[in-house]
Amino acid sequence: MRMQKYRLEILTMVTIAAFCMVFLYTSSISRDTVFAGTDSIAASKISESSGTSTKEIQPLIPQWVPPSGEIESTLFALQAAIGGMVIGGVFGYWIGQKKKV
Amino acid sequence: MHIMEGYLSPQWCIVWWVICIPCLLFGIYRLKNVLNADRETLPLLGVTGGFIFLLSSLKLPTPFGSSSHPTGTGLSAVCFGPWITSVVCAIVLLFQALFLAHGGLSTLGANIVSMGIIGPFVGYTIYRVLRDTPVSISMTIFLVTAIADLSTYVVTSFQLALGAVHPATGNVGSSFILFLGIFAVTQIPIAIIEGIVLALVFKYIIALKPDILTRLKIFSEQKINAARSDA
Repeated sequence: MRMQKYRLEILTMVTIAAFCMVFLYTSSISRDTVFAGTDSIAASKISESSGTSTKEIQPLIPQWVPPSGEIESTLFALQAAIGGMVIGGVFGYWIGQKKKV
Repeated sequence: MHIMEGYLSPQWCIVWWVICIPCLLFGIYRLKNVLNADRETLPLLGVTGGFIFLLSSLKLPTPFGSSSHPTGTGLSAVCFGPWITSVVCAIVLLFQALFLAHGGLSTLGANIVSMGIIGPFVGYTIYRVLRDTPVSISMTIFLVTAIADLSTYVVTSFQLALGAVHPATGNVGSSFILFLGIFAVTQIPIAIIEGIVLALVFKYIIALKPDILTRLKIFSEQKINAARSDA
């Protein structure tokens, strides 16, 4: 009966665990797996097959690029934090509303 | 799924911008109407939009040695439809284009079409088909989210096959298959995990705020009660 109640939670945890194990396996079988973003893989495929280096492909509209991976990860964390804050705030608001009545 | 700045030929950038602008304007109009009609929809919009912000910033490893991110558009597509979802996606994608160099201003139109319009539209269609069938709410959310995610990446592949600044292969068909291999096949495990996580989130929304879902006629009362008694 209790298992029934938490079926979706258990399924989620099992899926995430399986996902992590697949990741560990992939990263262990080959040392040169770099887990590059699919965006940049596609970009390098385009430049490779057309014989132009990625440096030659100029932005159409000039663009600010994060100067390092660290700065980039800060900004990504900021994006996730904005989302997480709103989600947490609303769930708290709903829990509060539920308790009042 | 971002097409990087400079990788889409100018005429195709314009085509996707022209397609996305009317959708965004209609989305803003719909958003105003929905919020004016019922202020209590704002928190729901916050949660569904918050997941787009959160999930699209998480780059997960794929089993093929690359990495990619979920889109998180499924919940928003079910609750508010594709037009309003496109507005939220436009904000996220603009943030990423300006501050993260993921996608760019010229390719923003194309990226909004794939992540904000066609992905959620496909998801919304699945939701509309399943809504009045006995398929459970969790299953519906899972399918909507996973397929909205996957179709976004299929559209990205198609956009690059059609209009990459240098053609990747001789013809559009073989380029499409090449990009599907990079974007869509690798996305399948991420789409599945995203579908399960958002189905769980929706379970909690049902537990806390079932009245908003019935008021917006997102799911029938009967289905929501079934989901509640199950939990």
